[in-house]
Amino acid sequence: MRYMLLMTGTCAGVDHYRAWSEKDIQAHFAYLQKLNRELTGSGEFVATAPLAPPQQALTVRAGKDGAPVTDGVFPESKEFLLGYWIVDVDCPERACAIAARLSAGPGPGGVPTNMPIEVRQVMTARTADLT
Amino acid sequence: MSATRATMEGTMKYLLMMNTMRAGQGVPQWPIHDLHAHIAFMRALAQDLHHAGELVLAEGLTFPDQARLVRAASDGTPITDGVFPESKEFLAGFWIVDVAAPERAYAIAARISAAPGPGGAPLDMPIEVRPVAGAPPPEMLRDVENQPTATTKR
Repeated sequence: MRYMLLMTGTCAGVDHYRAWSEKDIQAHFAYLQKLNRELTGSGEFVATAPLAPPQQALTVRAGKDGAPVTDGVFPESKEFLLGYWIVDVDCPERACAIAARLSAGPGPGGVPTNMPIEVRQVMTARTADLT
Repeated sequence: MSATRATMEGTMKYLLMMNTMRAGQGVPQWPIHDLHAHIAFMRALAQDLHHAGELVLAEGLTFPDQARLVRAASDGTPITDGVFPESKEFLAGFWIVDVAAPERAYAIAARISAAPGPGGAPLDMPIEVRPVAGAPPPEMLRDVENQPTATTKR
């Protein structure tokens, strides 16, 4: 079964992260790289992607003629996706265990961020099966 | 080996997100005909994007009534929580597309926004469009192989 693990934060949270020391940022990336390698080794890794900062986010709707209408104004409280992992695991407990590893990633001074990670089961067939 | 890392030269990757679900929501109670029309629309879209060479990844998620929030306890074990604020937006599905220009990503998002709902009327969903970041800059990854990666240093 495949699960999507979502890391989210507000614009204020992202600004806070940008103030981390270079050493702390490096340690955080190293932790995530090690986890990615472990998941690849166990055959559980499917996909991951970091996103550009929320300041670059837009919402799009279709106008009457179908042309895109874009909007870049969001409430301050809006939670933006910062990055995600898709994992292929044997049981929901394993997905939660991986989410806990992400949550325990080191923040400033090496203290775990304790970031909440949203865990969602993926529903559809793989992209390849749809096409 | 992430499919999401492979980018054609001169193109940009965008994540298109359908954040249309609310806490506790399950399968929508639409007439079965409308549900089938919606799924057919999404399949046709995936096929078109695939044939244009623009589709990197597309997924639909199960409904928010199954969502969990996970944190690590002090010993690293997961603490799960299934209670969310009513205002929270839940991701229902997403597409990663690899396109020549941002305008093309917006055009695809507009098409998704107009997906048919009950009675075939366009849903007019807001679709969040986000550029996918490249790899972190090299200076950020310097010496990472030699860095301690445990959760604590002090």
